Amino acid sequence: MDVSFIAVQLLSGLTMATLLFLVASGLTLIFGVGNVFNFAHGSFYMLGAYLAYQTVSAWHGNFWVAALVAAIGAGILGMMAEFLFLRRIYGRAEEGGFQILLTYSFILVIDDLVKMIWGTEYKSLLRPAGFQGSITAAGVTMPTYNLAIIGIGLLIAVLAWWILARTRPGRVARATALDREMLGAMGVNVPRTMTLVFGIATALGGFAGALAAPLRSVTPGAGIEVIIDSLIVVVIGGMGHFWGAWLGALLLGEVNSFAVAIVPEWASVVSYVVMVLCLIFKPEGLFAPRQVRKA
Amino acid sequence: MLKLRSGVIVLLVLCTLVLAPLAVMAQEKVIKIGAMYPMTGRAGLYGLDSVDAAEMAIAEINGKGGVAGYKLELINTDSKAKPDYSVMVAKRYIEQDKVHFLFGVVSSAVGLAVTEVSKQSKKIFIGTDHASTQLTADKFQPYYFRVSNNTFQSMAAGALYLKELAQTKPWSTIAYVGPDYAYGHDQWNELKFNLDRFGVKYKIVGEYWPKLFAPDYTAFITSIIKDKPDILISGLWGGDSVAFIKQATPYGLFEKVLFCSPDAGGNYEVMSATGAELPLGLVLSARHHNNWPETAANKEYVKKFFTRTGRYPTYAAEGAYAGILAIAQAVEKVGNPTDTEALVKALEGMKIKLPEDPDDFTSYIDPATHQIVQVQAIGVTVANDQFPPAKRMLGNWKVYKAEDLLPPKDFSEKKK
Repeated sequence: MDVSFIAVQLLSGLTMATLLFLVASGLTLIFGVGNVFNFAHGSFYMLGAYLAYQTVSAWHGNFWVAALVAAIGAGILGMMAEFLFLRRIYGRAEEGGFQILLTYSFILVIDDLVKMIWGTEYKSLLRPAGFQGSITAAGVTMPTYNLAIIGIGLLIAVLAWWILARTRPGRVARATALDREMLGAMGVNVPRTMTLVFGIATALGGFAGALAAPLRSVTPGAGIEVIIDSLIVVVIGGMGHFWGAWLGALLLGEVNSFAVAIVPEWASVVSYVVMVLCLIFKPEGLFAPRQVRKA
Repeated sequence: MLKLRSGVIVLLVLCTLVLAPLAVMAQEKVIKIGAMYPMTGRAGLYGLDSVDAAEMAIAEINGKGGVAGYKLELINTDSKAKPDYSVMVAKRYIEQDKVHFLFGVVSSAVGLAVTEVSKQSKKIFIGTDHASTQLTADKFQPYYFRVSNNTFQSMAAGALYLKELAQTKPWSTIAYVGPDYAYGHDQWNELKFNLDRFGVKYKIVGEYWPKLFAPDYTAFITSIIKDKPDILISGLWGGDSVAFIKQATPYGLFEKVLFCSPDAGGNYEVMSATGAELPLGLVLSARHHNNWPETAANKEYVKKFFTRTGRYPTYAAEGAYAGILAIAQAVEKVGNPTDTEALVKALEGMKIKLPEDPDDFTSYIDPATHQIVQVQAIGVTVANDQFPPAKRMLGNWKVYKAEDLLPPKDFSEKKK
């Protein structure tokens, strides 16, 4: 295995990791702030892919505009789902069970909705203009669109970190995770914060779907495929930890990429092995802070 | 006045009540076909195409007065592509709905489960769109019939193509990428089996097993490029094929290797989803092609399907269409849909003229294995926009004789 091949596999892993992160970040955000495990997060990813397809193919929009439309559309639908349904089950005795049932039903509803609007045929999007080729340097070939995805992913990670850590809305969001009642007593509109966070998280999912659409096939059921890997990322990174999601995605993407090259017959179980090891040795997540946070 | 009117109404209601059962009894006799196609998820398009094509065949036959005094009737229940659920549906069909035939299924896993029900209850199961060779080999049972090609036939055709290729454009190394379940593994085993059988020399330089429905193939692609195979065989299907091709194009994979996907790579859905992005020169095939053979019957079939649904059919459609024709022909011969043993006899060796048959060949069901025997054509992607939204279709056909593609007697998937 020579150096340029190692570089190629590293970059392959990075592309996969970035898309994983974009999906997982929304999942972990909702969990961290709202303590909700949104099973249907992958469906917002799928919806984003379809909205991007609609904008580009039917309305002849620019791809980057389409990605924005996808994010906004998925965000609005996410806020509606939170406001109309999820809000009703917060604080119930069996909230966990209700969450799974409710968000699972979202998967079925959104899947059928997509089928009714766009049909069952595979849809496909072209890579945006200017990002259709590849560049080669030092024997390493890399498609420009993959590079763009990696760049955008980093940008979003930094932006999200800055908002969460350095701005007032970010502090409110983090405080919501710690103590909702106290926050409410201090005059913060907690329900509105929850809706907003849910909207931002699903918008991230929709955006990821739009970015992935030119590389993957847009089809009903596409949400299920990403949710499992994203869940693994969230578990490895520590449920609810934003940076954890990024590092978890990176770890999973690279481990996968090299497993494919070195032990191809075992490649598909490697992600699960990583998760199991993580659950045994550091169940709070590899990248979670030392002390366990109390909700 | 009011009384009179209400009296009339009461009389009318009574009449309907009394006459309604008579009307039902006066209805024609029906051949009930219990279909189990997935209508949701990734395989939903195959299910939808199959049901539409079966309904189309039924409308044609019933329009001409049915068969032997019977009308055909199809009921479909979403199989959800789940074996245990489909078994439940099949049992309900037999016990409650009293169907005469079990029909369909896209997934081989479902097919293998339903064939057990068919065997136990001695109810004929017409397989239209699942390719695992096991159903007509290791798991053969007398009440199962398949009316579309299995993977062995596709892989035999693929091996013959590669054999011919070696004479004009010598190649020596080969790699494989296919989904990590029975369908993917069977294809690779059968291709190697056939290359050996036809005396082709080759060296394997890579074998890759992505998960079914994996969204990301980048790491596989870069690893395959490192292996430098002359030929890359793909056992991927549907959206997985689409994603693989889209991700591999900017890496220049298709300039470096000859991409060959003889079972499902040439299915119309791949062409319609990728449009002008589909590279030229890929070697693909499928169990039915919209533009081959160029016979009146095939053109007519494709046109009728398009008029009915507004889209061009995938190969799943022709399998279901063939299944209905086979049932109609069998009932015509026997005279009723209830004498199962006679129907089995009628299906064994039956000749059915199908849209995919060239003029000089008629598909027939092999009495020994209950597998339909068909010609297979392998083509290369060329520019062609006659079947929008596809911008590429297959051309430069190579046609393989049906008898050359059959597995040897006592072939077993497990032995290799």
